[in-house]
Amino acid sequence: MLSSLFFLLVNAWLVGAAASADYHERLLLRPLPQDTLLASFNFRSNESAAAFEQQNFGYFPRSFGQILQHAHAKELHLRFSVGRWDAENWGQRPWSGGREGGTGVELWAWLEADTEDEAFARWLKLTNALSGLFCASINFIDATKTIRPVMAFAPEGQHSNASRLHLLHGTLPHEVVCTENLTPFLKLLPCKGKAGISSLLSGHKLFDASFQTMAIDVRPTCEEGSATCALEMEQTVDMVLDLARAKRPKDDPIPRPLPIDQLECDTSKPYNAHDSCYPLNKGTQPAWTLEEVFGRPLKGACPLTGQTGDEADNLCINIPPERTVEVKTSGEVSESRLVADTLRCYKLPTGADVDLVLPEQKMATDLVRPKPGVFAARSINGHGQERGSIQAVISNPSTTEAVEIVYLESLPWFMKPYLHTLRARLDTTAESPIKETYYSPAVDRKRGTHLELRLRIPPASTLTLTYDFDKAILRYTEYPPDANRGFDVAPAVIRVLSPQARDHRGIYVRTTSLLLPLPTPDFSMPYNVIILTSTVMALGFGNIFNLLVRRFVAVDEVPITAAGGIKGRVLDKAYRLKALVLGG
Amino acid sequence: MAIDTRQAIDTRQAMDTRHKVLLFGAAAAVRLLLFTVFPALPDLLAGRVDVSTPVTSFKRLQEGVFLYTHNVSPYDGGVYHQAPLLLPLFSLLPNPAHAPLATNVFYTAVDLASAHALAQVADSGFASVTPWFASPRRHLRWSSAAIAAGFLFNPFTIATCLARSTSALTNLAILTAMAKASQGASFTFILAAAFAAYMAMHPILLFPPLTILLYHARTRNSKTTPSVSPFVISHTLGFCTAIAALLTGSAFLTRSWDFLSATYGVRLLLPDLTPNVGLWWYFFIEMFDSFRDFFLAVFWLHAASYMPGLTIRLHKQPLFVACTLTGVFAIFTPYPSIADAALYLSLVPMFRHLFPLMRYTFLASASILYTSFLGPAFYHLWIYAGSGNANFFYAITLVWSLGLSVILGDSLYAALRDELDVERPELRDKEVRRI
Repeated sequence: MLSSLFFLLVNAWLVGAAASADYHERLLLRPLPQDTLLASFNFRSNESAAAFEQQNFGYFPRSFGQILQHAHAKELHLRFSVGRWDAENWGQRPWSGGREGGTGVELWAWLEADTEDEAFARWLKLTNALSGLFCASINFIDATKTIRPVMAFAPEGQHSNASRLHLLHGTLPHEVVCTENLTPFLKLLPCKGKAGISSLLSGHKLFDASFQTMAIDVRPTCEEGSATCALEMEQTVDMVLDLARAKRPKDDPIPRPLPIDQLECDTSKPYNAHDSCYPLNKGTQPAWTLEEVFGRPLKGACPLTGQTGDEADNLCINIPPERTVEVKTSGEVSESRLVADTLRCYKLPTGADVDLVLPEQKMATDLVRPKPGVFAARSINGHGQERGSIQAVISNPSTTEAVEIVYLESLPWFMKPYLHTLRARLDTTAESPIKETYYSPAVDRKRGTHLELRLRIPPASTLTLTYDFDKAILRYTEYPPDANRGFDVAPAVIRVLSPQARDHRGIYVRTTSLLLPLPTPDFSMPYNVIILTSTVMALGFGNIFNLLVRRFVAVDEVPITAAGGIKGRVLDKAYRLKALVLGG
Repeated sequence: MAIDTRQAIDTRQAMDTRHKVLLFGAAAAVRLLLFTVFPALPDLLAGRVDVSTPVTSFKRLQEGVFLYTHNVSPYDGGVYHQAPLLLPLFSLLPNPAHAPLATNVFYTAVDLASAHALAQVADSGFASVTPWFASPRRHLRWSSAAIAAGFLFNPFTIATCLARSTSALTNLAILTAMAKASQGASFTFILAAAFAAYMAMHPILLFPPLTILLYHARTRNSKTTPSVSPFVISHTLGFCTAIAALLTGSAFLTRSWDFLSATYGVRLLLPDLTPNVGLWWYFFIEMFDSFRDFFLAVFWLHAASYMPGLTIRLHKQPLFVACTLTGVFAIFTPYPSIADAALYLSLVPMFRHLFPLMRYTFLASASILYTSFLGPAFYHLWIYAGSGNANFFYAITLVWSLGLSVILGDSLYAALRDELDVERPELRDKEVRRI
């Protein structure tokens, strides 16, 4: 309990910093169970709204700012994610899920426009421009992948003309996030990955992580009671690294068994032979250093960050007080301990490499990781390529408080859900948990399904949500080259309404994406199908047409020219020739 | 002597009525028994592609009713493609998920009404005798009870009824239109024909031959020939008015005209390529995008082109034309199911007098039989077992269509041969040639 209070304090301390300077960055490291390490990078810059309007961008990246101005985007959230957050073991998500995205690319924005059509036109402009900027297929977010959520997202910033804003949301669950998306991401930073904590980010480690999400969030912020507004841009990278995997040397990344004499065996177990070994569970925290884990050194602080106040501490590590940390640097590092010593923060020197060295250590105490407010899992049930059903299991682990959530599904058009089969069951009561439903059905090739449910889950209860769907069969040109792999279905987004979030980011949980196998035609034979079907139709039509236009006569009345056989044909030719000659 | 004959007729009629009551009771019992003994069977059949198509599926109808009762327009989505008037009708019935009895009884009643209409058509005798034509083999006929039994105990009809496919309602409308036309009842004929066209669009093609049938019935009933032009104009106007009234009522009911594109638009443009027993789905899956519109137009023109030719050539036998057109619908429309085939195969026995003239009955019936067994098996191999591909099921639908078109062509040959025997009695039982 005490530790979870500390955790909340850590979050509050990290979030509550005032916007005194124009650019801040911070890296928070937190060891997780199973020898993993969570690294949360956060970069934040501010620019006053007036200066932004005059194309005076300051620390705000110009290329990005101009896209926002061109598309009239007032608030924007862009996510690139890979992997799954293991909530059962790792506990609560970084930023309570408020900076996380569904697998692939997720984008939502509030655009200023007079009509819905204008908003959609601007949305297409935005997606095309962002696609070019981030080297991602964001331009494939078309009408079939765009929805207009009503409950699941709330604006994070303060908007003056909220009535003219349109929220549009699009996902690309199939998108493979990789290095080509990281490079433009780093280019947006004032220090561009050359100095500061961003110098740790490399594609080799980031996309090798068990879970990683890159986020860009732009929102307007207004001081309480004053008319001056600013535009805040926040870039975050959260990654969970497997320490053993991350520590493998770059030139020899293949794991190999240790030589027998280096193995540490559990000798308390009975052995029959000398060639076996029970691995020894030493119960220690593994040793690691920053450079080992990230594969490159931390090149000091970015000189553009604020140098005074809380915000000047760029590197924080959330570990029990007893854990030993050695700071290796040629410059000067000041350490401050916060939140009952569970958070150590360092002010990095400019222009000098810094490394943190943590030795292997046996720990007496450990940090208690707070439990998430909601657990969620979603899967496809049924077999065959004709139909199936979706099952989402959402549980509330709290024994005292009920949670209220919004469940958002954005399904592709070729997955046709039947809303009349939607069932929501609680394991504790027979009461219906559905408080509100918003449904916009899919239209073939024009629009995807958009389903939002407001649900209330009583304490210590599990909600099971199921509905049936049909799998459509597509035209053969609509299948991707790997048609039998299946189609990706975007993750469900769950927003926790109550208990309320402590900051503007909100509390979110996203399920994993799903793989939907569709029936496939035979891609190799369009010509054969066209020919065979046409043959059957021609047989039917030809037969009936023949019967309708011809006249029946007795066999002996058949004129000689119409008779079959060689003789008939020859005579026919002769008659025609004669007619031709005489006529000519 | 005369009294004896009348008594004989009376007893025959009484026998017939008793037969019919027994027959209808047995058919209803079979259906209700299947509904109650196998409660999972209706949903299983409703999910089969050969029984339910996107435009007749009961599951989609339930979704439409659900959206309609929750004030979401069912036509603003890609699932519901059926007629708007079905929505209030089925929202009155209790939810079939909890209380299926009302729906089951409703569908059983629809089937019985269809069989009754079919028996009326058979009773009218227009299959072999019209005022301008009398088949020399007209003594060869089955009783109306036997024909109704052929409809009621046809496994395809029973499967359609159990799947609660809305094509049962279309079939009822078509059969009622035929029955009313053969009785000379103008008003009810126009209503039924308009309802059939409203439900499924392509039955509009049945209107010309059935109007001729109505004309024949009027001629026979009144022993005078009504003048043609006023007759045709008044009935066409009535038909158009009825359809316009149905469409306007639907627009009023759903408060928009969106249903036109969601129902008839889907039948015309085929956006939903769910497999069925017809020829269109695989062709348009594999069609190149630039030729899609062209071939849609060609396929529709082809399906519609049979009506004028058949009506003109066989204007003396309008009932045969209507029957053949239902066969055309079962093969060449975009979303056919076994319900359409059931309708056609139940109408064919009325033309018992043509059977001796048909040449390929064994081939056709064997191919229909073997496709009805292999079709589900090959579909399973493709979709569930994964050991076959789409071509397996496609090949079976080709054979199915071929089998039906053989029956179609063969019966047409027989009908034309039958007409020839009237025109030139000296050629009877002789070999003939077509030139």
